[in-house]
Amino acid sequence: MMSWRSIALQVPAYAAFAAFIGYFSSAPEYRHLAPGLAVVKLSFSHAGERKHECHIRTPEELAKLAPNMRAALDCPRERSDVRVEVEMDGKLVYRIEAHPSGLSHDLPSTVYRRFEVPVGKHTFRARLADTPTGEFRHHGEANVDLAPGRVLVIDFIASRGGFQFHV
Amino acid sequence: MGIGERIRSGDEAMGALLDRVFPASANPWRHLGSLAFLFFVVCIASGTYAYALFDTSLAGAYESGRALTGDPHLVGRLVRGLHRYSADAFVLATALHLAREAARGHFRAFRAWSWLSGLVLVPLAWIAGITGFWLAWDERALFSAAATAEWLAAWPLRMAAFARNFLTLESMNDRFFSLAIFVHIGVPLFALAATWAHLLRLSHVRAWPPRSLGVGCVATLALLALAAPVASLEPADALAAPATVAIDWFFFFPHAIADAITPGGLTLAVLAFALATIAMPWTGRRARPAAAVVALANCNGCARCAADCPFGAVVMVARSDARPHPREARVISDLCAACGICTGACPSSTPFRRMTRLASGIDLVQRPVQDLRAELDRALARTERPVIVFACAPARAPPSARTNRVATITAECTAMIPPAFIEYVLRAGAAGVVLAGCRAGDCEYRLGDRWTGERIARERAPALRRTVPRERVRVVSCGSYGTGVDHAVASLLDNEVSHA
Repeated sequence: MMSWRSIALQVPAYAAFAAFIGYFSSAPEYRHLAPGLAVVKLSFSHAGERKHECHIRTPEELAKLAPNMRAALDCPRERSDVRVEVEMDGKLVYRIEAHPSGLSHDLPSTVYRRFEVPVGKHTFRARLADTPTGEFRHHGEANVDLAPGRVLVIDFIASRGGFQFHV
Repeated sequence: MGIGERIRSGDEAMGALLDRVFPASANPWRHLGSLAFLFFVVCIASGTYAYALFDTSLAGAYESGRALTGDPHLVGRLVRGLHRYSADAFVLATALHLAREAARGHFRAFRAWSWLSGLVLVPLAWIAGITGFWLAWDERALFSAAATAEWLAAWPLRMAAFARNFLTLESMNDRFFSLAIFVHIGVPLFALAATWAHLLRLSHVRAWPPRSLGVGCVATLALLALAAPVASLEPADALAAPATVAIDWFFFFPHAIADAITPGGLTLAVLAFALATIAMPWTGRRARPAAAVVALANCNGCARCAADCPFGAVVMVARSDARPHPREARVISDLCAACGICTGACPSSTPFRRMTRLASGIDLVQRPVQDLRAELDRALARTERPVIVFACAPARAPPSARTNRVATITAECTAMIPPAFIEYVLRAGAAGVVLAGCRAGDCEYRLGDRWTGERIARERAPALRRTVPRERVRVVSCGSYGTGVDHAVASLLDNEVSHA
């Protein structure tokens, strides 16, 4: 049977244990964004154009293939790199060249980048190249007023018309 | 003093400090592993209740957490608090357990399996914990989920697509919570299996801490849960990035490290830690003492050595000689710690046997019972009516300087000394015997202090015979401080004077 003296000694020890667990379970607060900054998240998952054009096989080429492989159109699987540039107030702030994923490089190029910018009104321009020639075919622009602690998401969804700006 | 010595001294000092507060047998510093298991079980039990009330949907997850904390009957608050705080306590106990075992060199040779299987639990615990935070789906959850996704995106495996789940709330759906709950529940099941493997090569495992300590810890967490309820922050908003977040440092510290040294740096740091800890059993390898050997001529297959071995290194197998006993002991060399506890358990280890060369059924090559008896004979011949101190070598207690009537015999473990040896020295005229071992519950070989105590208390075979005067034997759990040895010697000498 434990003595009252022993129990009295243990109470501060258990209190210290509780204080340690209780405090570090939610404190000190972690500052992950400096004052006066907002966050821009640039992300897309987009498959570039085929790196090499399809070509129609000649009868000679078809004859060399097994009967079940004789497709008239030969389309190499590999996709082009996707290149994106983002300007803020006319100044280039990000340039990314994303390679296609997949063992045969035939899957979408996926990018996720987070960077911090000063709060306030900004004009963002984004352009994307997804062809073998590297020509920027898609453009987007948005004027945003970024408050402290807000996030601007720049996404690219081809089926929805290209660049999407969420704030 | 080298760094290893300093760490060892710090460990001893921490144990000694808590010995002043807790009973020696319930000192939390020496039950970190079992405390971690207790916190794990509390976490599972409270999580089971919370899961029954949890809505695994984008719309319902946040409200589920709020409803738990806001339960007017306080049960939800208690359960949520217990779940969170026991998880934090689990991380704390596990980290201390890992650091303490590393500091004591408990990762080589026969302990390599326990060390490596224990390391597996570290990432499992983190994954299980961090996905639990995501289920609350508040600011903290989104911060952690996005930070984890950004970390994964920096891996060479091209996992950037995962991060896109947290771009906008439109990109989220209920399936995320199904996945999170699957991981949050599934990973602890793997952790349970890893815990079983962690203890696989140990015998007489005490998975639970002493009752008083366990009750104290759980009651403390319960009071904390009621006094400082775990509350959700604001609902998750993918387009908000609050400058500060109240994070749980026990689980979120990798996010802070990733911010400080980049996600790629965190990956390298994690890899370096993993490689270093996994390689530890093969680094700085010390010369390993020879394993215990079985002498079949003296083994009657009683299995006491197998029952007492702390590491399951002795097994009983079918007899391989012509003697009329069904079984014989066999030592698995890789598991043997050469602690000598098996020798102390062997009924053949009696110094009264009339043999030219004393031999036990199971013996240490580097310190056979023959040498032990010879050393005792010399000590008894050198000093008149000495007090024999059997000192445990790993405890490294300083020799008693109280009187020149003390003869110290060092053994690998006090449980290596068969009770028959105590009877032998007392019959030969010794004033008394002191068994000076590690601190209670802190035996270098896990069970030595327990077996010694039970044998002297005549609760475990081979027990001290009833004809041996118990008052002339002292068991002291002194550790390296040697606390109590001088006092035990003095009291034995005082007893002798008063008897005279």
